[in-house]
Amino acid sequence: MKRSKIAVAVVVVVALFLMWITTGTQGKEVPFLSVAELQSGDYDQSRFRLGGNVQSGSILISETDLLDMEFILQQGEATIKVHYNKTRPDLFEDDCEVIVEGEYRKNEFYADNLMTKCASRYEGDLRDENSYDLEKI
Amino acid sequence: MINTFATLGAVSQNLALGFSLLTIILLSLYLKNNDSRLFISGRRAALISAALVVISTLVLARELIVSNFNLEYVAHYTSRATPLLYKISALWAGQAGSLLFWVFILAIYVLITIYQNWNSNQALMPWVIIIVISVQFFFLFMTNFITNPFTPVEAGIIVADGNGLNPLLQNVTMAIHPPTLYLGYVGFAIPFAFAMAAMITKDSSANWIRIVRRWTLVTWLALGIGILLGAWWAYQELGWGGYWAWDPVENASLMPWLTATAFIHSIIIQEKRDMLRVWNMVLIITTFALSIFGTFLTRSGIMSSVHSFATSSLGPLFLGFVFLILAGSFLLLIYRLPILRTTNRIESFISRESGFLFNNVVFIVMCFAVFWGTMFPVLTEAVRGTKITVGAPFFNQVNIPIGLALLLLTGIGPLLAWRRTSKARLIKQFSWPIMISLVGLVVLLLIGMKGYILVSFTLAIFVATTILLEFFAGIMARKRRFGEPAPLAFWRILRKNRHRYGGYIVHFSIVLMFVGFTGKAFDKEIEIAVRAGDKFHLAGYEFELDKISTIERSNHFAWIAHLRVTEIGAGPVTELFPEKRIYFHRDPDQRKRQPHSELDIHTTLMQDIYSVFSGYDSQTESASFKIMINPLVNWVWIGSYIFVIGTLFALWPPRRKQ
Repeated sequence: MKRSKIAVAVVVVVALFLMWITTGTQGKEVPFLSVAELQSGDYDQSRFRLGGNVQSGSILISETDLLDMEFILQQGEATIKVHYNKTRPDLFEDDCEVIVEGEYRKNEFYADNLMTKCASRYEGDLRDENSYDLEKI
Repeated sequence: MINTFATLGAVSQNLALGFSLLTIILLSLYLKNNDSRLFISGRRAALISAALVVISTLVLARELIVSNFNLEYVAHYTSRATPLLYKISALWAGQAGSLLFWVFILAIYVLITIYQNWNSNQALMPWVIIIVISVQFFFLFMTNFITNPFTPVEAGIIVADGNGLNPLLQNVTMAIHPPTLYLGYVGFAIPFAFAMAAMITKDSSANWIRIVRRWTLVTWLALGIGILLGAWWAYQELGWGGYWAWDPVENASLMPWLTATAFIHSIIIQEKRDMLRVWNMVLIITTFALSIFGTFLTRSGIMSSVHSFATSSLGPLFLGFVFLILAGSFLLLIYRLPILRTTNRIESFISRESGFLFNNVVFIVMCFAVFWGTMFPVLTEAVRGTKITVGAPFFNQVNIPIGLALLLLTGIGPLLAWRRTSKARLIKQFSWPIMISLVGLVVLLLIGMKGYILVSFTLAIFVATTILLEFFAGIMARKRRFGEPAPLAFWRILRKNRHRYGGYIVHFSIVLMFVGFTGKAFDKEIEIAVRAGDKFHLAGYEFELDKISTIERSNHFAWIAHLRVTEIGAGPVTELFPEKRIYFHRDPDQRKRQPHSELDIHTTLMQDIYSVFSGYDSQTESASFKIMINPLVNWVWIGSYIFVIGTLFALWPPRRKQ
């Protein structure tokens, strides 16, 4: 058996798989934008991913449907209203850091995926927290 | 102000750094002057540095246990009320501690490696020690100067009680998941060091492979268990109904596991046929670099991940370290190419060697697919200026055919003969499995399966048949030859050839896991808000919310939903009791109270009925649920157990001859 035959076979297999992988992103790309970018830009597609914090006191839950909810997502100065009608993660609450994915329509965001990253309470700077019994000597 | 013990820990950590440096200097001098006293001193310095790391880690563990809140780290991750187990697990809950813990495991490995090779491999050992101690030096540098777990709280502050560990992490699985992962990640440093030492000393034999083979297997098993525990925990605790989300941090652990899996296959070829020497070097370098890269992904904050760690300045350092490893080792590899080349060639497509080769190709391709998807936001931001993410749909679409190709090779590879496979052997080996899987295919078609699901189940039947027939053939051969009864023959073939049959058991476990993965295609889900007495339907089942009761337990308050599940047309199935809990409900500080959904699952071999009590409004008495029917999930976990058993079997040391 010639070495080259096996080598050719390996190269062909690898090339095919690489094409499969690199073209696999088509149609599955979701831009991760800042809120300000989303609001000021003009985009072809309608699906986006945003990150930011839940504005304190902005969470509104529907009185008729416990799942139906809206809140204000804040990132720096920019804010946007986000609608979400699915199960909320346990760590979702005021001020927590979230990533939402969904559609942008008429200046509002309709999320179908909401992820929280809310361990700040456990990871943050100790001196920033007011919730400990700190006593000055 | 910190106490004596904490000072001891901090000082040990400082000294460990110093002794690491001393080790490197002494052993470098030894390599230059060849004065054996320098080697002995260098080795001692290495032992001392490793011992000091162990001491400082134990001290940190002690401080966590006794709640010395004068240390910032202790105050962050534990409180007086934290149970003992989680005080200990706080050792790896935060950044500074987990890095120290990383070095701790490395230090243990260093001690074992030095002890194992006390009188052997004299030529390799100085380099092995230099390399692993350099890695230790890098991590100690960070724990000493950048994120030190022994940092005291700010002067003038007394912390009466600490922060406590996130209740989500207060789970036994979560306590052991990180250390098992670490055992895996860190363990690859040792094979890497041996590989580098072999190249530096121009040792082109398979000697280092024999030394590291079992080591690699143990490390690979630990990483595998770590990954599976994470998946299991996510499924049992997180309440989104899945076990794998293609999150960057999950991917970071999967990538080195994939390359390591390729490696544990291809080292067999190097051992048996002295081939693929260069390739094995590439694999071991890549695996080690990916383990460090994984730590980088977790720590740098460049990825938005559910596994949140505080963003820190460690990112560039880690990335630099990964580049250093890659550049250094690949340069060395290129430099040593002439002595690594072998004259042995693959003789036929239809040979065991070729099977292994393609298995390796597919594993690497899969690793690349995971890498591509994980790094896509970073790559697109660099090229196009916008961060573009690709989520689970990309990973699933791309990896399903690659995974199926692997499954096929799992069936074919082990049946092929070394060098070349004769036609007669091909027919003998494959006719039964092919016939049985064809029958299976027809049955699956008749019950309406199609697409990937059809392919996956058919391949599962094929591979399972090949494995069972291998066992059957082995048992029959012993029965004929020694007249042993079947169970005894079964035990004997297992005992006589641990690597081979252990491997088959692992392959079988992979088949079971694939059956579980395929079940995902049939998942059904509903999210709904209801009141007591309401009924709703999902996938042929009726769910009735009977009532909601309440209970107060020691550290939380819970609403318990009573969900009656009936199979439509068949009668009652079970009652599920998912809970909505509020942890620390008596804490006067609202912000410290934490909601948590404790889910309830009705598990059978065929499917899980998965219920999450996601929200409750006590004013309107409206409760929201997420209910899923997840077919075949259980096979993923059954496969996991068998995976562990098979691997343990393969790596268990043979009984020493008297």
